[in-house]
Amino acid sequence: MTAGTEAGSPIVTAARGWGAPAAHALRMVLILIGVLVVAQSFWMVEAKPQDLITGIFGMADFIRRATPPDFSRLDAAIWPTLETVDIAIFGTFMGVIMAVPLALMAAANVTPARWVYFVARGIIGFARAVPDLVWALLFVTAVGLGPFPGGLALAVHSIGMLGRLFAETIEQMDMAPVDALTLTGARRIQIFTHAVVPSLLPSFLGISLYRLDENIRSSLVLGFVGAGGIGFQLLTYMNLFDYRKVSLYLIITFVLVLSAERFSAVLRQKLA
Amino acid sequence: MLRVRRLSLKYPNGKLALADFDLEVRAGELVIVLGGNGSGKTTLLRCIVRTLAPTSGEVWVSETQLTHLDGEKLRRARLELAMISQHAALVKRRSVLANVATGSLGRHDSLRTELGGFPPEELVAAQGCLGQVGLAELGIQRAGTLSGGQAQRVSIARALAQRPRVLLADEPVASLDPEAAEEIMRLLRRLAVEGNLAVLCVLHQVDLAYSYADRIVGIRDGRKIFDDPPAELPREAVRHLYLDRAA
Repeated sequence: MTAGTEAGSPIVTAARGWGAPAAHALRMVLILIGVLVVAQSFWMVEAKPQDLITGIFGMADFIRRATPPDFSRLDAAIWPTLETVDIAIFGTFMGVIMAVPLALMAAANVTPARWVYFVARGIIGFARAVPDLVWALLFVTAVGLGPFPGGLALAVHSIGMLGRLFAETIEQMDMAPVDALTLTGARRIQIFTHAVVPSLLPSFLGISLYRLDENIRSSLVLGFVGAGGIGFQLLTYMNLFDYRKVSLYLIITFVLVLSAERFSAVLRQKLA
Repeated sequence: MLRVRRLSLKYPNGKLALADFDLEVRAGELVIVLGGNGSGKTTLLRCIVRTLAPTSGEVWVSETQLTHLDGEKLRRARLELAMISQHAALVKRRSVLANVATGSLGRHDSLRTELGGFPPEELVAAQGCLGQVGLAELGIQRAGTLSGGQAQRVSIARALAQRPRVLLADEPVASLDPEAAEEIMRLLRRLAVEGNLAVLCVLHQVDLAYSYADRIVGIRDGRKIFDDPPAELPREAVRHLYLDRAA
């Protein structure tokens, strides 16, 4: 927007000299490409507004059959809810355990060797590139149905984000206290526990809490592929057309996601 | 206490950063090194603490010669030498007292210190060091909340917790306002006299050097130009230190 008005003003156009028309043409081409990209996506997803209008009746029917939510079975929902939260806690904890050593290897300033750096970055990138649902499918195949494969999936997928952010934190660390302690004659392990750990720990905890919040949201859908928790219940009651139970679980999901977000945000604020 | 004999450092590109430098700082004495940018004053300090390895020459602290040491022997020898620099280099997330107590770590190799703790007696001693720099009441505060002058005094307290015989200071007032700078210099002066420390301080401020030094050492192109008490040192000589550099 700003760039457009700038190019239009005579002063700027004059200052740019003969290059201005070329830049103008380039901008038009880029805009055209942008329009084409969006347009083809509409065609590709077969977007039909009329379906959305007729679909409203389907939605209304769903809402009618889903109300009121079946709160009589709230007690039965407690266990899957706990399972969802625990899958996230387990996944985050194990993710942190694995991400810390990887991050130490993947931080340019402390990595023991160049090739270690690339291997660690590769592992972290791969863990992130494969979606958590796919990891869950893989682990369900390996260890069977239940919450355990869900926890493993989150752990491995979390390495991707945790490892990268931990490594960045290490790279941006203030090295001055480390150098100062080296000169006092402190030993390497003492320098690590007295200067490195206190500088990194609050950031690491903050990042982990943020990840826990994300993992609780991921953990909700992991059940769709048989990895336990609320997702599994949602899928089951959807298949049974028991929409009043579905709406109960949707409400639980809503409350859970919001409180996880608040909890994580408040704790992180305390740490800062 | 600190004796430097014919200390030289030649960079691989042939540039002589230090040339046959001789210097002596006795206990209870504050010696200030003046020199322009690139004159070799910081190099001198770094060769003394051995973060740079001198090409030749000797550095004696009490009865120990430092230049040939490495590894564990160097670490032990460094316990006698404390260094403060332009920036306080505190761990901002920790308390002021903990920052001071880290100065004592070199004396301990217990599991407790390896796990991030301190021997109780060192915390008491650290509180005493804080008192010496006039910040006894700030112990529980987070180091990140201090002003520049306070932080620098805490870094001096940390150096004291090391119980050194020699205190090296690399432009300790460069990032402070004039008032805080005077305070730091008064403190260094007092520590030299009362603590019987040998203090070697690199400065940019000629006026501060004249006010606080027992001796002023001039350095240019890695060579010692003068080494005199302020009273016997004409200002003209100091000015030449900075003027002649182009020649």
